Amino acid sequence: MITCHLLNGEFVDREFSDFTVIADVTNCNRRVLQEMPFDVIIGLLSKLGRKLIQNPDINSLQGVSYISIWLRRKNLERICKTNYGDCTYLDTFVPVDNHFAMAAQPRGIVCQWIAANIPTLAFFSLAQAILSKNGSIAKVPEENSAFIAALLKELSDIAISYNGTTYRGEDLVKAISLVSFEGRNAEVSRMFSLTADCKVVYGGSEAIRSILALPQKEHCETLVFGPKYSFGVFDREYIESERFEKALENSVKDIAIFNQMACSSPQVLFFEKSKYSLEEIGLMMKGRFEQLPQLLRHQDTDPAILANIINMRSRYLLSDHQNIITPPDLSWTILMDTNPRLEDPVHGKCIFIKEIESITDVFNLITRKIQAVTLCIRDEEKRRAFAREATYRGVDRVVIPGATHDYDQPWDGILPMNRLVRWVILKNEHEV
Amino acid sequence: MTPTPAGDLNDLLQQPAYSLLDDEKNQVLLPIIRNQLDCAIANNHCLANFFSKLHLSPDEIQRLEDVPPMPVQMFKYFDLRTCPEDQIEKVLRSSGTTTGITSRVPLSKNTTINQIKALKGILKDYLGEKRRIFLVIDHEGINNPMLEFSARTAGVRGLSIYAKRVFYLMREEDGKLVLNLPVIEELLSRYQGEEVYVFGFTYIIWSTFYNQIREKNIRFSFKDVKVFHSGGWKKLKADQVSKEHFSDEIARIFGTGRETVLDFYGMAEQTGIIFVDCECGNKHVPNFAQVIIRDPYTLEPCGNNEVGMIEVMSVLSDSYYCQAILTEDMGYRVGIDDCPCGRKGVYFRFQSRIEKVEIRGCGDTFRE
Repeated sequence: MITCHLLNGEFVDREFSDFTVIADVTNCNRRVLQEMPFDVIIGLLSKLGRKLIQNPDINSLQGVSYISIWLRRKNLERICKTNYGDCTYLDTFVPVDNHFAMAAQPRGIVCQWIAANIPTLAFFSLAQAILSKNGSIAKVPEENSAFIAALLKELSDIAISYNGTTYRGEDLVKAISLVSFEGRNAEVSRMFSLTADCKVVYGGSEAIRSILALPQKEHCETLVFGPKYSFGVFDREYIESERFEKALENSVKDIAIFNQMACSSPQVLFFEKSKYSLEEIGLMMKGRFEQLPQLLRHQDTDPAILANIINMRSRYLLSDHQNIITPPDLSWTILMDTNPRLEDPVHGKCIFIKEIESITDVFNLITRKIQAVTLCIRDEEKRRAFAREATYRGVDRVVIPGATHDYDQPWDGILPMNRLVRWVILKNEHEV
Repeated sequence: MTPTPAGDLNDLLQQPAYSLLDDEKNQVLLPIIRNQLDCAIANNHCLANFFSKLHLSPDEIQRLEDVPPMPVQMFKYFDLRTCPEDQIEKVLRSSGTTTGITSRVPLSKNTTINQIKALKGILKDYLGEKRRIFLVIDHEGINNPMLEFSARTAGVRGLSIYAKRVFYLMREEDGKLVLNLPVIEELLSRYQGEEVYVFGFTYIIWSTFYNQIREKNIRFSFKDVKVFHSGGWKKLKADQVSKEHFSDEIARIFGTGRETVLDFYGMAEQTGIIFVDCECGNKHVPNFAQVIIRDPYTLEPCGNNEVGMIEVMSVLSDSYYCQAILTEDMGYRVGIDDCPCGRKGVYFRFQSRIEKVEIRGCGDTFRE
């Protein structure tokens, strides 16, 4: 059974046995986006950003202030420019040379499998589908459906005037359907997959593999945002510089946001040997963890994750060359050792910090599952050289402390919106 | 003369298992545990690390809840021996159910004796003074000493100490459990008037024994019977079998009442202690043990009816860290000293195991 939380702009839960009606309505409604000037779409979304931050019922929800910043016109234009080069492609054919012109057409219905770990993920995914003028059917986790619905309701109430015409956010929302269904239901999953002109899949290995195994239309494009891992690296010069304390403060925030459940959440921080011992660095971090706002410091954590944290703490306490810094509760945990390796994520603000001889020791740890490396190298040339090698080995994003969760593009090595459109060509007839 | 902790422990094991008020018990247990922890630190550098990194000396411990609990998983990764190596007589290996890694529990002669005395004391409270015929709802191979310890073997071996004779009601046929009909027929014809006690793994009793014995329309009618069962309820809950329905049906098979079907909670790492349901459905903590329910986030002890992680404390072992073991089970304390059944001390209920978390998202792993 499929529960549809949003259809044709109406936020009412309805049950369906297949996707026929949902797909027909979404497909029909996406035509309005096609006819809407791209600048209007940007205008409606940026107005939503301003509205969200002003609404006290919504702006206190975790992640809303970031969404609001992300929706600034300048940021949206930058993201679209990165993806399309020229946003005019979304509205019309743009001459490339005398022989032909190009345009970007939406793929159609983008079916999105949204993971549960990041409450804001559904919004970013839908925003990109809007910015590529696609219709969306998003399978949202039950626990996050109210959050995304609240944001889209705000969008529904927005209108802007452009060249004398009034355009409504409601029309953007009408091109979106939100659904929930049991992911283990093979038949419903199969139907969902076959509905898609483009599939966008977020999740862990098991989920990704099972979704990729589903049948799909021959023309269907698939974007996979699969399991990833992030860590940080600090070189000696940086550690001994005046920037270090602020970088630690920001790294602690990176760890705390999303309770360390995101692919962009650092799991290990490597520190090159310096004048500070690992213990001293750990104590500096302790101070920063203690200063976290209550909402970030105390987040709902699954008992299994808590049990895992308790286990890791005890393993480090029992071992010879490891140590921990912790508060009495499980709000955060620092695990210290000198073993130069990546560790399985524990989550729940449980950070491994490790002293290494040289930052180049981490190169051999890099796999293609590494998403973000928070890179703190004082010398810019050295930083670029490190980034070049790290990205060659598999890292997708080299970031600065405090910015690991910034939803930049490219993401996971992909320019998503570029792939959410079909690049079409209009050849010119040669003049005789 | 101040009694020595060892003397106190022997005294404890002599007394009826549920006779001490909680406060009295805590006062008796604390010095014994402090003494045991001193030995632990002296004999095991891992445990010395543990206390040293916590900046904690056993002498400073003023309350049982301040004894640092050892997560039960640590038995898989560390040697938690607390006595000199030459005192270890055998190492109990408990097969892991989820990770596949085996727990190692080193046992000295003293520890084994204490565990047997303790278990006898607990069973005596439920079975009375006399040994009984023991019916095992499993196959005989489960008690093969060459096999690794599991929840099933633990129950059979532990409970058999009260047996004057053991009968296995099941046998293995092509890897499946089937009724051991010759044994059942012998029981029906020769032992119906006897006092018996029964043990089986909850799910095996229900999914195998109960179905087959019902098909054959077999009913027992012993003089007096107590049915002990242990193991998770997860599979039974999935089959929508309530504890009450289970008890009623099994009681019917054995010709007894629901109140004689007793669920118990225990673990290989705390052999010698089982927490058996009383007639009110509560699990009681014997004199030589303590149970603390801890909030999984703050790690502070919970109040009555607050669900938390079950920590089991014990003074039975001088050979491994049994003094405070934090389980991955959730439960809640129902009360202290005032259960209508009359048993003193903390009484609690088991709620569920902490299930391995499924990370539903992208923050997963670095391995390709």
